[in-house]
Amino acid sequence: MSHPSTWVDTYGDYLYSFALYRVQDNATAQDLVQDTLLGALKSKKNFKGQSSEKTWLTSILKYKIIDFIRKKYREPLLENFDLESTALDDHFDAMGKWKTGPAKWASDPEQLLEQKSFLDIVKKCLQKLPKKQAGVLALRELEGETTQTICKVFNISTTNCWVILHRARSLMRKCIEINWLKKRE
Amino acid sequence: MINHWMFKCKDISHLISRSMDQKLPLRIRIGIKFHLMMCNLCLRYKKQLELIHKAISKLDTDKEEIFPVTQLPDQTKEKIKKNLENH
Repeated sequence: MSHPSTWVDTYGDYLYSFALYRVQDNATAQDLVQDTLLGALKSKKNFKGQSSEKTWLTSILKYKIIDFIRKKYREPLLENFDLESTALDDHFDAMGKWKTGPAKWASDPEQLLEQKSFLDIVKKCLQKLPKKQAGVLALRELEGETTQTICKVFNISTTNCWVILHRARSLMRKCIEINWLKKRE
Repeated sequence: MINHWMFKCKDISHLISRSMDQKLPLRIRIGIKFHLMMCNLCLRYKKQLELIHKAISKLDTDKEEIFPVTQLPDQTKEKIKKNLENH
């Protein structure tokens, strides 16, 4: 294990960015980095070297973030989410049928996964999502958390969680479609 | 009669997302399957969501790649270093 005094320089920026994306507040993110490193120092002997130092520190940070979010969102978030979004309803007519429907992206969609330009668009769209949706989607798709955990963390109902994930995925899809088709023109 | 329990595209788009997070009851899964057999647009929607899921996991191989790195302010770095030493 490297000496704790080197942690700030080696992992500081990474941990800070990781936290910043999830809590969207500079001061909080900085506090979380400090809590993480102090916590790591205390539990140094628990580090078995099975994972990299960075993974170990990240897992401590994740725990701190979840703890922070849980405290912050003790009150239900419901009012912050626009559940009856007209943006989503726009895709469908009064009968619930697609107006235009999703466009075709490629003759072989799987092959898109090999294209850097496509993955770049996915990345940009993820960064452009409304922050709270991005937070929920990141916990689900990046951290692989179950919806039950996400509900607890954000203190929202399961139904609300599904609606948020549905909206986030739908927005991602739309964003990718617009940008990808534009690129191909 | 058939129309009575058949889903609309709008419902399907929601249920497709939900099926990615939860195992849906058999009756609903059959309803979705039935709809997808007849509706190319919803089938395309489903495939695109699955593709996005795969693409996001692919980004995950290097998290720094996904979210731009922001520098921790020097002042804070110094402060944390000091705190680490004092513990």
